[in-house]
Amino acid sequence: MPGRGARHLFLSRNRFHLNHSGVSSCILNFGLYIYKMSFAALLANYATRPNIWDEMCSQEKIRTHYQVFFDTLSQVSPAELARKDELAKKLFMSQGITFTVYSDGEGIEKIFPFDIIPRIITAQEWQLIERGIKQRIKALNIFLKDIYHDQFIIKDGVIPAALIYSCPNYLREMVKVDVPFDIYTHISGIDLIRDSDGSFYVLEDNLRTPSGVSYMLENRNMTYRIFPGLLPKNNVRSVKDYPDFLLKNLLSLANRQTSDPTVVLLTPGVFNSAYFEHTTLARLMGVELVEGRDLVVDNAKVYMKTTAGLKQIDIIYRRVDDDFIDPLIFNPNSILGVSGLYYAYRMGNVAIVNAPGNGVADDKAVYPFVPDMIRYYLNEEPILKTVPTYSMDNPEHFQYVFSNIHKMVIKKTNESGGYGMLMGSAADEKQIADYRKEVENGPRQFIAQPIISLSSVPCFIDGKIQPRHVDLRPFALYGPQGIEIVPGGLTRVALREGSLVVNSSQGGGSKDTWILS
Amino acid sequence: MLSRVADAVFWMARYMERTDNLLRALRTNYIASQDELLNFDWQLWVDGIGTPLPEGRVVGNYRDVLWHLMINRDNDTSVLVNIVRARENARSVQDYITKEVWQCMNDYYHLIRDTSTEHQILHGDPVSAFDSLLRESTLFYGTVDITLNRGEGYSFLNIGKYIERLLRTLDFLELKINELERGGNEMIQWKYLLYSLSGYEFHNKYYRNALSTENVIHQVIMNVQFPHAALYCLLQVERYFKRLDVISVPEHFKEVEFLLGRAISNMRYNGPEQKTLPQVKSLVNSTRIEIKSLSQKLASLYFGYS
Repeated sequence: MPGRGARHLFLSRNRFHLNHSGVSSCILNFGLYIYKMSFAALLANYATRPNIWDEMCSQEKIRTHYQVFFDTLSQVSPAELARKDELAKKLFMSQGITFTVYSDGEGIEKIFPFDIIPRIITAQEWQLIERGIKQRIKALNIFLKDIYHDQFIIKDGVIPAALIYSCPNYLREMVKVDVPFDIYTHISGIDLIRDSDGSFYVLEDNLRTPSGVSYMLENRNMTYRIFPGLLPKNNVRSVKDYPDFLLKNLLSLANRQTSDPTVVLLTPGVFNSAYFEHTTLARLMGVELVEGRDLVVDNAKVYMKTTAGLKQIDIIYRRVDDDFIDPLIFNPNSILGVSGLYYAYRMGNVAIVNAPGNGVADDKAVYPFVPDMIRYYLNEEPILKTVPTYSMDNPEHFQYVFSNIHKMVIKKTNESGGYGMLMGSAADEKQIADYRKEVENGPRQFIAQPIISLSSVPCFIDGKIQPRHVDLRPFALYGPQGIEIVPGGLTRVALREGSLVVNSSQGGGSKDTWILS
Repeated sequence: MLSRVADAVFWMARYMERTDNLLRALRTNYIASQDELLNFDWQLWVDGIGTPLPEGRVVGNYRDVLWHLMINRDNDTSVLVNIVRARENARSVQDYITKEVWQCMNDYYHLIRDTSTEHQILHGDPVSAFDSLLRESTLFYGTVDITLNRGEGYSFLNIGKYIERLLRTLDFLELKINELERGGNEMIQWKYLLYSLSGYEFHNKYYRNALSTENVIHQVIMNVQFPHAALYCLLQVERYFKRLDVISVPEHFKEVEFLLGRAISNMRYNGPEQKTLPQVKSLVNSTRIEIKSLSQKLASLYFGYS
């Protein structure tokens, strides 16, 4: 029998409350049979905020695609949820899904924070995302080919030449270099967010070495341990195909006349924070994980040093940035790459994935031009929306941004990981003034966007179910047969209450992402 | 396979074997010190297998010694440091070893770092700590056996494992001889040597009489039925090395094969002649030197060290 507190909540179910803080409490539609007092208490704190799209609750009730999961969840006590949370942490630890903060010698093991409540996306929503991303990648890929060859897009006045040539990631070394199958963006991660009306926006494109896909895979492995039976019950689409798709694409890039081309994954090494991802992908694809010191270039061919002598390599999936892959051409101090690699690449003796020079396409100052690229190259209207973007080297934009700074976020065009940005809503006067000076010194390096309130999803934090802001990074694979997107992606969560910054370096975590079929 | 990977697998196996041998020896000696060898000289052990404590410091009580030999991070040869190194090697070849092996190393690592392990050693029952650590070690061997493919890596792993085991056997034997040189009951000392090599029961069955120095030396050096015997280890190294024939550069293979064959012959033909303890000690030393040059050859010809 429910106790008094529960009865009270029961009476008020299905009603929309405004409490003193002006925050609405989503009191939910549980069936009477599965009703548990403890769970109601757990959810009483689920305070969705006005003008934010909550993916589980609409104002009055649970959205249908969350219902099955929610019904199961409501039979689980908070203590049980806490145990599941504990189990997840233990599993991450014992499976070594960690990154290490090296101070001296042994280092400190940390796990990337993981939230046990999955994020659910409907089949219709996914269909839109999939179409939108394919369209976008296709255009960006043509853009890369164009910008490194004939530059029609500049000649036709769609994109200003100054913008391209001022981009530090535009590689002159790539001009007139033909890449296999004209594919530059073999692997891309497109960051999506949802505005207050639930519509999807592209926040940024990651076309260089996007990471996070191993967490997409591992988070799913966690879910069936934590919530047995739920995946089949909800008809969740599998993400397991990713490594197979990737390997198939990589193999198809081989240039040599051989039935058994050699693929390697080039990692910066164990100190890299994404090292776990590199090992996971290498293992799942069954390819060698190499470091720069394992490679040598001879006569414009790339070899790896094995116990049986040198062995030629055909395809390198590199997780080392452009600047570090070849000290003869790029950063001369790099020991992460191998001397002569770029020459071997230009000779067509080895394929490098992703192609060098992609940074010009995911530059944040180029981002506002992507819709125009789609219209220009594909003659289509963009499917996914783009966040309005102000370039800071435009004086009018500059003025506008700083007079509305509390509604704005300013970002560096070539930084990722949530570094070097200013959230106008959270900054004080001094921070704004300091940042303004920085922007004045190099306006090309900055853009501004209105702060978009990311959608929220339920998370289990401090023993309570609470809404937190999320984004979504699906991973697209572009091979000679076309673009494939595994139904899923990495949902990143801003774990701090009210925070909009989801980057793992800034207190973000992740959760499993379900695409329903 | 990549030279770097072969190297890391080799060293992973060495550190794991070292840890296992060390734990068994410490467990045995700790028990001996509690019951039979009441004046157990821990200093000898610290000097013999560990990095000695900073000069001027005398070994405190047995718990301090155990702590130093097991979880002192500043002691380069402590069990914890061994496990950390094994795991760092495993980490750099995570894609090569199986996920199960990697997981096993992780559990081991988290166990030795767990405060409960330290508490057992300092305040509780150290044998319980030894036992739970040894269980992880055994799990590692089982997991390797069940999950790892029998390619090159498996050969390098076993070569590392048996080289290390051989060196540990020689070390422990020498330590015991050093202890005996200071006096003490020979038979009791030999008994604990065999205990720490997990060979006491076998001795009773195989030699069918009370312990004698001659038999113990035979068992520890020459008995190829005894998995910790020096000769047995060398033969295992040879067995796994020969499998590399097909993948090796022929000249490289020949060079190592020669060194290995010579070491085995030296032991086979000189071993039975060594009757007195000083003679045994000199055999121990000459074998160590041979193993060292063998490892150096492996490193330069197979692991890419120049």
